Amino acid sequence: MTNNTKRRVVVTGMGVVSSIGTGADDFWSAIKSGKCGISEPTIYPIEDLQIKIAGEVKDFDPKAAGLSKQFLMADRYSQFAGIAAREAVKQSGIEMPLKPGEGARCAAIVGSGIGGISTMEDSYRGLFELKKRATHPLTLLKTIGSSAPAHVSIEYGITGPCFGVVSACSTATHSIGLVYNMIREGMIDFGLGGAAEASLAWGTTRAWQGMRVLSPNGLFPFSKHRNGTVLAEGAGILMLEDYERAKERGANILAEIKGFGMTADAADMVNPSIDGTAGAMELALQDADVSPTDIDYINAHGTATMVNDVNETRSIKRVFGDSAKDTPVSSTKSMHGHALGAGGGIEAVACIKAMEENFLPPTIGFDEPGDECDLDYIPNEGRSADINYVMSNSFAFGGLNAVLVFGPAPA
Amino acid sequence: MEDVAPKIIEILKKNMKEPPETIPLETPLSDLDIESLDLAVIVFDIEDTFGIEIPYNANEEVEDFKTVGSVVDKVKELVAANNA
Repeated sequence: MTNNTKRRVVVTGMGVVSSIGTGADDFWSAIKSGKCGISEPTIYPIEDLQIKIAGEVKDFDPKAAGLSKQFLMADRYSQFAGIAAREAVKQSGIEMPLKPGEGARCAAIVGSGIGGISTMEDSYRGLFELKKRATHPLTLLKTIGSSAPAHVSIEYGITGPCFGVVSACSTATHSIGLVYNMIREGMIDFGLGGAAEASLAWGTTRAWQGMRVLSPNGLFPFSKHRNGTVLAEGAGILMLEDYERAKERGANILAEIKGFGMTADAADMVNPSIDGTAGAMELALQDADVSPTDIDYINAHGTATMVNDVNETRSIKRVFGDSAKDTPVSSTKSMHGHALGAGGGIEAVACIKAMEENFLPPTIGFDEPGDECDLDYIPNEGRSADINYVMSNSFAFGGLNAVLVFGPAPA
Repeated sequence: MEDVAPKIIEILKKNMKEPPETIPLETPLSDLDIESLDLAVIVFDIEDTFGIEIPYNANEEVEDFKTVGSVVDKVKELVAANNA
């Protein structure tokens, strides 16, 4: 079966929680103004840490956010998922919770790099350090990496495919790609896809510190002074829908998912390969049936590590050839930080808003181009441009690559 | 302090698949069969062995991590600071 005979898949809702704003509108105005959400964290002690910055979702109050009781009993990561899912559902205009019998044609694929790790950390501190006799009875349910999709399914009566994807920093992009494929193949008619992450904690930061890849002072992608990535948290979730269904109910269509590509480097846990990352971009372009010159903006993985940014630049050049230098590329992580599994979801929202408003998001904190970083990274200030097709890259530890191509709402 | 060098060489060897018989102090780390992740493990091992904290960032090229000898000197400096 060729692409043409398959169903088209559109985005009818999106939700975001991030260090620079919760809700797509607040998030987008922060992106447009080049706001930075990286600062000293408040939710864990930093005195004895080498790394004293993070992209925290500040002043987060689940009760004030109006979450339901089941979400209030969940881990912070599930709560982020609940808020992003609620926004996506509301924007889609789909009447939810679904009535009995309606839910089987809907999916909830909400992943996380690591799930409710902070709950686990608190629990272990209680056991090992404070010598508590027992853990909180909800420790397990809060920790498991499938709790967010489960909570979302309960909230909205989603009885179709429901699980979490785990692929580190590619999690959200893989999740969105899976929902896209399920709808395209006719398995379901609509569904939520994305991810949530809330792994900012003392122990987790220690573990990351041990990898020696974190920057002590900021996330500066593709830039000469870049010196590592900065951990962040949040969620990004899209409502995807069969185009015919969306059209029939008169939905406001935000964008179309044109293509999805995924590969694995099968090479190294930390050093990315050009073959793997370029391969995922090529597959996404083929699936979208568009050429590199059609892409008006690339939302890069852009972690600001030495190896990622050079590898990604080389990969873009391999795939885009002569047009690479004319294709604007930015890493919005420079603003919201590296939200790990949730990154691709947050960045998908940035991509759709960029198309909607014909505005290229900047890479902030850019001093001068790093060695071998010679593309147009939209340094420091965003700018207006005609944007029809957008590519979003996610490349994870272990060499797990996922790439989405978004296009305009079908005419 | 004189046992710092042999201990570090031992740690380097432990983390290499096929370590050479001897590792002279002037050997550049880039000449050893050590990848970035290995180096993170080696730094952890050194910190654990000597009870020190080494401010090493894999994204930066620093003089302290040029040769085996420069690592030994850095560790001696940190151990001395710890005992001061």
